[in-house]
Amino acid sequence: MIQNQIVQNPIPEALRPELEARIEVDTYSRPVIVLYWSTSLFWLTFATLAGLISSVKLHSPGFLGGMEWLTFGRIRPVHWDTAIYGFGGLAASGTLLWLQARLCQIRLPFRELLLVGCVIYNLGIAVGVVGILMGQSTGVETLEFPLYAIPFLVIPYVFIVIANFNMYWRKATKHTYVSQWYLMAVTVWFPILILSAEACTNFGAVDGVAQAIANWWYGHNVVGLFATPTGIAAAYYLIPKVIGKPIHSYHLSLLGFWSNAIFYNWAGTHHLTGGPLPAWTITLGVVGSLMMFIPVITIGINHHMTMLGSFHYLKTSPTLRFAVMGSMCYTLSSFQGSLEALRSHQEVTHFTHYTIGHVHFGMYGFFAPLMFAMMYYAMPRLTNQEWSSARLIRIHFWCTLVGMLLYVLAMCFAGIRQGLMMNDPSIPFLNIVKFTVPCLMLRTLAGLILLTGTIAFLINFSRMLTRHTFTYSTPTLFTSNRRWEDILEKERELTSKQILDGGQGA
Amino acid sequence: MFFVFVFIWSFALFAGVTMVWLLAWAIRRGEFQNPREAAKMIFDEEEPIGRITDHFPGERS
Repeated sequence: MIQNQIVQNPIPEALRPELEARIEVDTYSRPVIVLYWSTSLFWLTFATLAGLISSVKLHSPGFLGGMEWLTFGRIRPVHWDTAIYGFGGLAASGTLLWLQARLCQIRLPFRELLLVGCVIYNLGIAVGVVGILMGQSTGVETLEFPLYAIPFLVIPYVFIVIANFNMYWRKATKHTYVSQWYLMAVTVWFPILILSAEACTNFGAVDGVAQAIANWWYGHNVVGLFATPTGIAAAYYLIPKVIGKPIHSYHLSLLGFWSNAIFYNWAGTHHLTGGPLPAWTITLGVVGSLMMFIPVITIGINHHMTMLGSFHYLKTSPTLRFAVMGSMCYTLSSFQGSLEALRSHQEVTHFTHYTIGHVHFGMYGFFAPLMFAMMYYAMPRLTNQEWSSARLIRIHFWCTLVGMLLYVLAMCFAGIRQGLMMNDPSIPFLNIVKFTVPCLMLRTLAGLILLTGTIAFLINFSRMLTRHTFTYSTPTLFTSNRRWEDILEKERELTSKQILDGGQGA
Repeated sequence: MFFVFVFIWSFALFAGVTMVWLLAWAIRRGEFQNPREAAKMIFDEEEPIGRITDHFPGERS
């Protein structure tokens, strides 16, 4: 571990204006982004612990059985809602604000409002969690937070929408980078999603089958039109930026964005295959899911071709490791998701653990690593500090990868076998439950591994906040030490050459 | 109930019109005219194309 060392890293005068402009953008947004990300990590840890309790209860039902506020029906929604709104919402909002300020090359506006918004949002999550634990869940999946918690979540998001549009409107750059398309879209899509879904479900605008459709339209889109665009925006920024290479095809990236915007919204009803819905609504969901191959293949090709020839940097860059892991899992989990929508596939996997495996593949294989990558890249630039331990970063990465793979493989295997057995009426249901128990235990193990990784990250993160690490005189990681030395050496050479040539130097 | 539907549809209409207007604004501003340049806008003289900008701490070469 590194202890409180201050390192001078002088910057040549010639490079100052651009660097200083970026330092100003980063320094100004520091308190807001650090607050969003640090609270997001608190909720990630909370969600992981709640998930672990839920997981243990499935193979050891007596675990914490005496406490009604920790029963499966309460702790499981707490796990998912804190993961998607607590960790996901705060990490994605921090990413959105930092990335947009950087890409627009302007200071983050409404800083105080955003700080207050973050506090209100966290309060809203806490109120929602307490509400669910007290048994006041709405019972609508992904919208379980009691209604009194919703204003706490919506009002701060209005601040984020305003700040986002304000930055884009006043941007100092001529072009729009592809990440900005996604960031702008997410602030239009998410308010429509949550307000319409709340109106249709918890406010009772529709009921019965139509309510279930609205529920799953939201449940699917909150992942695809809220978490996914932010993750892709992060990948489109980080991969080219870290390896110093523009994205392979900007045209493809625009095709990916617009096809995602057009098709994703239709896919939600595939969650209700086999339910009492009009057949055309399910067919619409299946078609929408299969059309998602277009953006997924487009984005996959673009990221892969950008990385081609640069895969060796995975050894040396923590940001790139997480970003590439996230991008690869985006392609794989999206392929899995599209195929999963087919009726023939659903005959086996629907209502099994397979779906849970898929959701975690998307959230912990794709979204979370990209948020981690964003934090690994941005935090040193925001705080002028180096991460304190390379070993902790490696532990975090390997725990995330191994834990996620173990989780997904165990759940997908259990789900397929469970589905096949359930389709055979001669097999008693209890035998099927018993068959899944070892896989459920493996899931608990996977959860513990993921928790270990999260703790390693938390230690590194908190050491940075408490300044138990290198502190640079200017933002760090802009280039390698040797490179700075080369630049300074070159400057010295030029200066002495000019002196020798005619005394014009220095 | 009626007001909930009015809310949903008017909100969706507002968002839809805003997006179309933004798209028209972006086209007028020339956002789509030079995509190759847009791909390069994350680089500058200080962090140019070809420079690696991330390393494990203490392991820069």
